[in-house]
Amino acid sequence: MRWLRYLNQWRGTAKEALEQVSIVAKFLCLIHVTDRYIISSTHVQGPSMLPTLNLTGDVILTEHLSHRFGKIGLGDIVLVRSPTDPTRMVTKRVLGLEGHRLSFSADPLVGDSSVSVVVPKGHVWIQGDNLYASTDSRNFGPVPYNLIEGKALLRVWPPRFLGSLR
Amino acid sequence: MASSFWNIAYQQATKSGVLVAKVYSFLHVTTNYLAFPAYAFGPSMIPTLHPSGNVVLAERISKLTRGDVIVLQSPEDPNKLPTKRVVGLEGDSVSFVVDPGKNDESRTIVVPKGHVWVEGDYTQNSRDSRSFGPVPYALVQGRLLWRVWPFQDFGPIGPPTTT
Repeated sequence: MRWLRYLNQWRGTAKEALEQVSIVAKFLCLIHVTDRYIISSTHVQGPSMLPTLNLTGDVILTEHLSHRFGKIGLGDIVLVRSPTDPTRMVTKRVLGLEGHRLSFSADPLVGDSSVSVVVPKGHVWIQGDNLYASTDSRNFGPVPYNLIEGKALLRVWPPRFLGSLR
Repeated sequence: MASSFWNIAYQQATKSGVLVAKVYSFLHVTTNYLAFPAYAFGPSMIPTLHPSGNVVLAERISKLTRGDVIVLQSPEDPNKLPTKRVVGLEGDSVSFVVDPGKNDESRTIVVPKGHVWVEGDYTQNSRDSRSFGPVPYALVQGRLLWRVWPFQDFGPIGPPTTT
């Protein structure tokens, strides 16, 4: 029975610990909701968006509100979940909304042969700014609108490139 | 004093606000990572689901397998959430009749990487992958687990009943 008395002594401490844990949990919930649904920072890297985004990696602020209200427009840089690999996110520019007709060069390194497509309903056409090193809608076709998860706002790192993306 | 009335009102408001935020956070985490209720209606999943409406429970935990009934975001209309059955996973070969009203000509497609092929159980009246093609995996919202309403059919949602 001695251990019961021992446990009782720790009751006050346990209560305080639980309160602290619940404060931390509430804070984490707030961070999670802000990060997922309002605004978040993303590290993007790769050659497909040169010269707009650097090869070695930039941190950009992305907002997650516009796509829920249908406010993604032509020329926006968006974060999209890759249709070929659902665990990866890609950053590309929207070059066509539903109903738009687009012409693109099937293989920019080889020749001038161009293909014309109409973006189907409920889809968008995304392309990287660096046409020679980008896997985008020219490879995997138009992307369903719901795969868009955020719109890039501005770049915050490296500090000398701080500012809006154009 | 007039100001103490507003003080009390402000305190009550913030207390209620905090409670609402806590309840909302809990619901949000549960529906986004565990399970969520859904209302499914329409003829495309006869006889598994009633055309006049079913309230079902869908879960987001398990990995998809062939034969699961899922809720997905439609690739055609971003605001619609159809309910269909997974007939093919990535790499599977699926055969389907291209235009059942016209003739029996069938096509075979290999489901590309990162996509699933969905079809309604009532293929005569279902808009599914035979119309809008394979669906990217990220558009899948959840797997149907249990039917809650109508109460006569309370129970698990299972494999297609062979007629």
